Parts: sequence; structure tokens; C-alpha cells
Amino acid sequence: MPKVIYHHEDGATETVAADAGSNVMRAAVQNGVAGIVGECGGQAMCATCHVYVREAHLDSLPEIGEDEEEMLDCTAAPRDERRSRLGCQLTLGGDLEEVEVDVPATQI
Amino acid sequence: MTVEATRAEPIPVAEWVTIPDLYADPYPIYRRLRAVAPIHWVPAVNRYLVIGYDACHTIELDQERFSADETGSLMKRSMGHSMLRKDDPEHDAERRSYGGVLRPKAIKQHWQAVFERNATTYLGRLRAAGPGADLVAEFAAPYAAENLRAVLGFHGATQEDMQRWSQTLIDGTGNYADDPEVWAAAERSSREVDEAIDEMLPHLRANPDASLLSQLSGMPMPLEALRANLKMTIGGGLNEPRDAVATTAWALLSHPEQLASVLAGGRWAEAFEESIRWVAPISMYPRQATRDTELAGMAVPAGARMGVVVGAANRDPVVFTDPESYDIDRPRKPHLAFGGGSHFCAGAWIARASVVGGALPRLFAELPGLRLDPARPAVVGGWVFRGVLGLPVLWD
Repeated sequence: MPKVIYHHEDGATETVAADAGSNVMRAAVQNGVAGIVGECGGQAMCATCHVYVREAHLDSLPEIGEDEEEMLDCTAAPRDERRSRLGCQLTLGGDLEEVEVDVPATQI
Repeated sequence: MTVEATRAEPIPVAEWVTIPDLYADPYPIYRRLRAVAPIHWVPAVNRYLVIGYDACHTIELDQERFSADETGSLMKRSMGHSMLRKDDPEHDAERRSYGGVLRPKAIKQHWQAVFERNATTYLGRLRAAGPGADLVAEFAAPYAAENLRAVLGFHGATQEDMQRWSQTLIDGTGNYADDPEVWAAAERSSREVDEAIDEMLPHLRANPDASLLSQLSGMPMPLEALRANLKMTIGGGLNEPRDAVATTAWALLSHPEQLASVLAGGRWAEAFEESIRWVAPISMYPRQATRDTELAGMAVPAGARMGVVVGAANRDPVVFTDPESYDIDRPRKPHLAFGGGSHFCAGAWIARASVVGGALPRLFAELPGLRLDPARPAVVGGWVFRGVLGLPVLWD
């Protein structure tokens, strides 16, 4: 079962196991991980599931799509050119069996 | 997700709630209801009203249990069967047809300049009307209507047409009294919108532009769905930015210290987001339970017609401290004014751009000494849609 490790600003860590086909946003919302909102339910429309992916996993990520690209310019916390992604666009399973992300200080 | 309903509590009945009281000021009613339960059967509106934040949010995220495709929908009768009353995957397919027209990139490339131009035009109209003018009628409404006309691509129509279409189609959507005159007006507007669409589609196919109709003109979508979605967008795309402009102006003019902070720090986005939390322009929308289920520990029967009252959820004290007050400095929490889940408002970025980027800073910059008219207080009304209906203002 794929696994997501969420690192919070205060140093706390949460590990969530999720079904393949789920994503980093949905896994967080369904398991009550604080700091991931996912207002639009995963349509790359709201920028409230912004995460910073840790370096070790960057090569396993899918390409940034056009919708995700424009939404990453609308995040409440600063965009990191290398590490910022929308959690809803990071589908779990396949190349992404495990991923560690830093949760931004704010999503709104 | 299947939930056992057997141990759930029965939902209380609130027979004392009336539509005129809700219209005048729903918030004391929500407070009284909230003290009892997060869901009530309200006979006057023939719905289960869901007023708790968590319960509303749960509904938004679970279309398997709570369908948008409501039986006997007045909206379907007034506007046709739009994506707003469909679940995925049908909803998703139609929503995707809107493409990038309403998104931040298109706003930067096309719409922000249009909003700036329209702000100039209608601030001129407000100024020309002179101190004592109604900020809603002279600025917020025509500004929102003209922006919408451009974004949708109704180049042969006027902002007055947009206002008439929006209001009469929405009146039909809320025609619980089954007033034949309301239906007649809605049907007239529906025909006019169909004619305007028919007129524009071939033109936009030949002369494509950045508008929504232009985008849709090349899609293999049934005309019936296209028409319904456009009517829904006319309804949703006008009242909300209009009401957000007027409510934010009213809130800031009523709270001078917060206005000073906004002016000093350019905090227009915060003023706007707090304003739509405080008075959500779309305050209630329907869902229907697809099965016997449980929500917030209460038993919801299959087929239940529900009202998701985000206007109440946005003042839930479990989530928001001192929720009845307008406070741009409150700790930031996600409000539900744009809805959530797959029906999250497709026009959210357009609303932000036109209200925060276009209207509010210009309004306060260009009308020095802008203030409420002490002799004529603002008029506020509504509970399904709530907003400032009239806002007489003075300036130097």
C-alpha cells in the first residue's frame, strides 16, 4: 500500500497509508492531516493542497501539467521552483509508492 | 462510503422558522437552531437545513451519498439541467468544457484589463450620480454584469440584459411559491438567452476570442446542456461578485479601524475573503440523500431534500471564533462560500480578480471620504442568496 509522510512546520510527522490511485491531497483529507485543505476536491482549481516534496522523491513525480502550473503561482505560501506541487496531482502507486512532503505554513 | 443509520439520532423539526424571518435576518435563526442540532427539518422551506460546518463540508465531499441531481429541482425548471445539478462523471465532463477560460492564466492575459476598464466606466457612473447614490445600483451591479457579459461572450447583449436575465432566472430557481408571473419572466429570459447564444455561436466559431461561448462553440456538447450551463453561469456569475463588492464596502465602511488597516496595508484580499465568510452570497444550495444514511450523528432518510447552508456553516463557532463579527484579523480558516469538492465555484478566481483586483481598491481610491449615508441605512436581505440590496453612500 502506498505511503505518504507529511512533515509539519512544528516538526511533527504523520504517516498515512493510502490506496494506489489515491493522491497526496486525498490521503491527507481522508485521514484528517492538518494543513491540507483540498477545497476543490482535486481539480487543480484551488491551490489549497500545496506541498513541498522532499528532494529524494522529486525524480519519481509526474510532470507538472498546465493547470497545476498556473495554480502553483496562486499558492498562499511561497512557491518553491523545485519542490512545490499540488497534492491532488500526485497520484500514488506506480513510481510513487512512497513520498515525503513538507506541509506549508498556510494554504489560504 | 456506506454508513449505518440505525444508531443515529432523529432530526428535530423547526416548525417555528418562517421564510420572511429567514429573508430578513437568518443568523439569529441559525444560532437558535445550532444550539439544538446541526440539522433540522424546516417545514416552511420543505427541506432539511444543514447548518453545521462539518456536516456541510461532509456533504460537499460525498456525492455518492448526497447527490446534486435533485428531484423536482426548481433550478432545472428555470435554467435547464446544468452541471450544477449533476454528479460526476457527467458534471466533470461538462465542467471540463469550460477549460481555462475562468482560470488565473486567462485572467492575467485577458480579463484583468477588462475588469480595470469596466471599473473606470462604472466608477464614473457612480460619481456622476453624485453623493447619496446607491453603490449597488450605480456601481456593483452594472460592473459585475458588464464583466460577466465580456467573459461569457454575449457581445450582442448589454449589461442591463445580463442583470435582467440573472435576476429572473434566479427568481425562478427560488420560486417556491410557484408564482406564475415569476415563471413567465424566467421563461422569457430563458428564451432571450437561447436566442443570444444562437446568435453568438456561429459568429464566435468564425471569429474566436477568449470568451466562454467561444470556447464552447467548438465543443461537441449537446446544445441543451450548453444552454443550461450558460444560464447557470449567468445566475451564479453576476450576483456573487456584485454582492461581494457591496458587502465588503458596507463592512469596511461600518468598521473604520479595519478600513484604515486595509487602506494602509493593501489588505483587499483579506477584506474580501472575510466578507464572503461573514455573508456568503450563495448561502444555501440543495442536495438530496441517495440512501438512508447518517450525518453528524443524525439519521437522514433516503430521498431527503437537504439545504446545505454555507451561510450558517461560515458562522459555526466550532470553527470560527466570534463568528458573527466582521474581523479581517481573525485566524484564517477555510470558509465554504465558494462551496467545496467537485462543485467548488468555477468562477472563484474571476470573482477574486474582479472584486479584489478591479473594484474595491479603485472604489476607495477614487471616491475620497467615501462613507455610509447616516440618513439612509444599507438594506440587506435574503437567505438562499444574501447580500446588500441598497447601499446609499456619500463622499467628499
